Amino acid sequence: MIQINRLPAAGRTDQNKALNFTFNGKDYQGIAGDTLASALLANGVDVVGRSFKYARPRGIFGHGPEEPNAIMQIGSGASTIPNLKATQVELYEGLEASSVNGWPSVNFDVMGLIGAFGRLMPPGFYYKTFMYPKKLWMTYERFIRKAAGLGSSPIESDPDSYEKLNQHCDVLVVGAGPAGLVAAREAARTGARVIIADEQSEFGGSLLASTQLIDGLSATQWVAEITGELAAFNNVQRLPRSTVFGYYDHNFLAILERVTDHLGISTASGPRQRMHRVRASQVVLATGAFERPLVFAHNDIPGVMLASSVSTYVNRFGVAPGNKLVLATTNDNAYQTALDWHYIGRTVVAVVDSRTGPNGDLVEQVRALGIQILEGHGLIEAVGSKRVRKALVAPINIEGTKVTGSVQVIACDLIASSGGWSAAIHLSSHTGAKPVWDDAIVSFRPGESKQKERSAGACRGTFGGLDGLLEGANAGAEAAKLAGFGTGVVQFPTPMVDQIVEQPQQALFLVPHNKTTSRAPSQFVDFQLDVSAAGIELAVLEGFESVEHVKRYTALGFGTDQGKLGNINGMAILANALDQDIAETGTTIFRPSYTPTTFGAIAGRDINHLFDPERYTAMHRWHVENGAEFENVGQWKRPWYFPQANETMQQTVDREGLAVRNSVGILDATTLGKIDIQGPDAAEFITRMYTNSYLKLAPGKCRYGVMLKEDGMIFDDGVCACLSENHYLMFTTTGGAAGVLSWLELWQQTEWPELQVYFTSVTDHWATATVTGPNARKVIAKVCQDIDLASEAFGFMDWRDGTVAGVKARVFRISFTGELSYEINVPAHYGRHVWEQLIEAGSEFNITPYGTETMHVLRAEKGFIIVGQDTDGSMTPADMNMNWVVGKNKVFSFIGKRSLERSDSIRENRKQLVGLKTLEPNAVLAEGAQIVNDPNQPIPMAMQGHVTSSYYSASLGHSIALAVVKGGLNRMGDVVYCPAADGSATAAKIVSSVFYDPTGDRQHV
Amino acid sequence: MSKLRAETVTSESPLHYFSKISSHSEGSSQLFNGDLEFGVVAKEIGLGCQLNLRGDASDEHFLAGAEVVLGVALPTVPGTYHYSGDTVVYWLGPNEWVITSATDALGLEASLRLEIEGHIAIVDVSGGQTLVNLRGYGVPTILKKASGYDFGIWTGGPPGAGRCVQTTFAKATAIVANRTNGSFDLIIRRSFSDYVAQWLLDAGQEVGCRIESS
Repeated sequence: MIQINRLPAAGRTDQNKALNFTFNGKDYQGIAGDTLASALLANGVDVVGRSFKYARPRGIFGHGPEEPNAIMQIGSGASTIPNLKATQVELYEGLEASSVNGWPSVNFDVMGLIGAFGRLMPPGFYYKTFMYPKKLWMTYERFIRKAAGLGSSPIESDPDSYEKLNQHCDVLVVGAGPAGLVAAREAARTGARVIIADEQSEFGGSLLASTQLIDGLSATQWVAEITGELAAFNNVQRLPRSTVFGYYDHNFLAILERVTDHLGISTASGPRQRMHRVRASQVVLATGAFERPLVFAHNDIPGVMLASSVSTYVNRFGVAPGNKLVLATTNDNAYQTALDWHYIGRTVVAVVDSRTGPNGDLVEQVRALGIQILEGHGLIEAVGSKRVRKALVAPINIEGTKVTGSVQVIACDLIASSGGWSAAIHLSSHTGAKPVWDDAIVSFRPGESKQKERSAGACRGTFGGLDGLLEGANAGAEAAKLAGFGTGVVQFPTPMVDQIVEQPQQALFLVPHNKTTSRAPSQFVDFQLDVSAAGIELAVLEGFESVEHVKRYTALGFGTDQGKLGNINGMAILANALDQDIAETGTTIFRPSYTPTTFGAIAGRDINHLFDPERYTAMHRWHVENGAEFENVGQWKRPWYFPQANETMQQTVDREGLAVRNSVGILDATTLGKIDIQGPDAAEFITRMYTNSYLKLAPGKCRYGVMLKEDGMIFDDGVCACLSENHYLMFTTTGGAAGVLSWLELWQQTEWPELQVYFTSVTDHWATATVTGPNARKVIAKVCQDIDLASEAFGFMDWRDGTVAGVKARVFRISFTGELSYEINVPAHYGRHVWEQLIEAGSEFNITPYGTETMHVLRAEKGFIIVGQDTDGSMTPADMNMNWVVGKNKVFSFIGKRSLERSDSIRENRKQLVGLKTLEPNAVLAEGAQIVNDPNQPIPMAMQGHVTSSYYSASLGHSIALAVVKGGLNRMGDVVYCPAADGSATAAKIVSSVFYDPTGDRQHV
Repeated sequence: MSKLRAETVTSESPLHYFSKISSHSEGSSQLFNGDLEFGVVAKEIGLGCQLNLRGDASDEHFLAGAEVVLGVALPTVPGTYHYSGDTVVYWLGPNEWVITSATDALGLEASLRLEIEGHIAIVDVSGGQTLVNLRGYGVPTILKKASGYDFGIWTGGPPGAGRCVQTTFAKATAIVANRTNGSFDLIIRRSFSDYVAQWLLDAGQEVGCRIESS
């Protein structure tokens, strides 16, 4: 296909490099340097999508992030990206694009046939129509989404990689237009670390499409020079294709860098996008401005564009999107577009200026070329269906509120409009600065700075070229000085720019029509969501006054362009309808993101196996090699059970449990938290933390304790061993380790700094293997010769130093199974060695590795609680039937003691830990099941408690459960019921929580 | 009964299973920096002595005693370390340091206890953490990916001193220190070392990453 609109002059493109692409399944060709939008325009593609509500054909309107119509699905399969603006997609070989709006095709649209519905779809249509019945909302939503065509997400997982970088700089310059470039240069010269980011593919901003001379050079040559200067500084980081999309507290800004998006899938290597999380000492915002379109009837027909966009396509991309131009304007600035159009040899049919007697420099240049200027006129309506054919023009009154004469028809195929410029105050607004309306420039200006930032150039409302450059240079020097670099005085000479004298512009937000707004053909304000001037006026008639409410009611600014094009016009029309000025009406607050940001970039590499750290013990590889299934315990991966061929999990757990009860098992207990405690006040401190006393715990001895929070509720438990005088080792639960260490530090540092005690985490230093079962002593004896293992010499709750399998070890006789147990601790480097030696030594007793599931069953048989499973932060030791662990006669109090005396802590009928034995021995209760006295009681039933732990016990031959039951300790023998979701109920008898070896003989051997 | 002899004892450093693992194979068609140079080489210097020391930095006897044994003064400026020969002492907090040394941990602990009187804590953490040296042109970028700390402001210190910080490293934690040769040392926890290694291989994809371990 021939690029019918391609000009001989190349602009910033390379005509020797053709690039093939497809749009809606059709093949096209563009050239290197094109955006998808410029390539489509070069090919004469008029209709690129359908509008949201009325399904009207829409064409390319802008040239940047303000584009409301050319919303594309790019690529296919796993890499497809919905909702990109064609104006921001750089063309690459093989690019596939399709319109997100316009099913089944943009040129023949089913919804278009029923577009007459538009009249029936006033603002608030969805709220009014689809509210009831509520259950149908899901159906409505699907219909609305399909018709609206919001693009489609890939259904495969994303094959691309994304990077995140934490950056620090002294001065961050946002925007590499004229003001940003000189700001960065001034800051760079001081030696400050500078980052300059710009969302376009190359630096230069508006200068890339400018015909102005700077320092006697063409604008693009000047950009090349200053960009070269910046490149020579090694303290400057230049980020093109990088959008600063959010400005957060403490001068933290987020930048999305599109690293390989512009290369296409085939040639790209490296990350697709990179998110820079920047801490900047000072920020210069130089984000430029957006041109405002004029709002007139049928201003959405393809072929209506922004004046600056027409100039950009001509000057930067070498594309003329039409032949016969009518320019509608309220200001001098847009006359440049007439000049640009004229100089490429195309026809400027007329300039329609709302003002009377314009005579600025550019106006006079246009007039001198003999181009017709219709002063005091408005372009009141565009005519055409899929392309503009005519413009209706009429004289209007000086206020711009009424048509005052007869309508004139002008044939044309391109309408460029300009209603002036709006400063891009978005990032300033992110900081919380409240924008200030300025009638003189017909734009908001950034409000008073809330952070260490300043705006320069057009985004500050300074639209003149030279003034913007001066501001930029000053801002760069000032920012650097405040960051501690340089004198704050501009060092480089001011660039030489021809000053163009401009006459004042007219503030005109709605071009009057010869019919009233409500009767006139639609005058669109927000193209993406089909919000018209009449819709805003109707919202006011219906009683909406606040701009925030009107926005939500009409959906003004809710599209992916977030109102960059239409918001100011919309607010002005609202202000007019409310008979207020714009300052009174206010503005909405812009929030991050400035432009849509991919989830991939936010997630970075924190995905899949790196989503959350997996912590491994020193024996982890052995577990993997021996077929363990793993369970997550906090961030740890713990062996859950070790299935043998064809075993079910229950069979495995039965086998492992029986092995421990009848011979010997081995458990990796490395993950338990371990805290080394040293200092002359260590025993006193520990005694204040636990409910029982450690003051008389002798070296070589261990004691079990429970920790409470101030409210008297259990929050951790474990064994504490006295290693030597003033030296203790505290074991915590696996999940509680970090919390307990913080808890100890908190109390020592803030409440009892007079106690001399230090804490150090040694969780990772020690690898722990628990050897447990009646044959445990025989196994240990084979690998340990320097500890007297006789029960009189090394009894239950003792610990000894010794050598195990050739490694210096601490051996603890503590038990979580109720069997004879040895917990062998060695420095983790030797963990696997010692583990393998224990396995070998135990082979003659068929030593059986077991996991956390069997550990849970074994401890439940003994009625040992697991904090966090059998307790939930609302259980006292008494609730757990553990009053024996509370030292009543301690000299100093302990944390939580006072709360144990609260009326609620001592009331009758608190939930208490008991055992449950199902009447049907093989029925295993569901953990979490509620407990009731009468399963036939009408709902709501009186809940008596719930099941906290429940298993089948192979050694006992029946199921067992732990539960908390109101007043349960006084209800032994009662039968209670656990109703299930299917309506059935399981009967169980309340029994002691200790099912196995209640006298504890087996662990004391 | 079989008796085990001492020489049969085997030990595994935290990155034992990562010995010579790369993000790209040696025969990979992807070249880095024009040859097979990896942008990031992470070399574990494992199985050394690491002691955690706590004590009162305002106690001159404590400071003097530690210096006599270690041959280097305890750093008291936040975020710095001191070194002499194989012994490095990192500042972790106002009353906490970590010592890495080529000597035997138990021997060093005993010497310190002998020399220092009063309330201190010395804990052998040799098994719980490991030292990994990061070298290569891609290291500054890797550090930016891993941590929000501003390593860019670190400048060379006087002889025998350097900068260090305890900070987040991806979703784990690490002590990071600069070396005079431009490389960086990490001290990471054993249980997180697999994660850190996996993360390095992934984050180092752009420039190529190799892990070396003994």
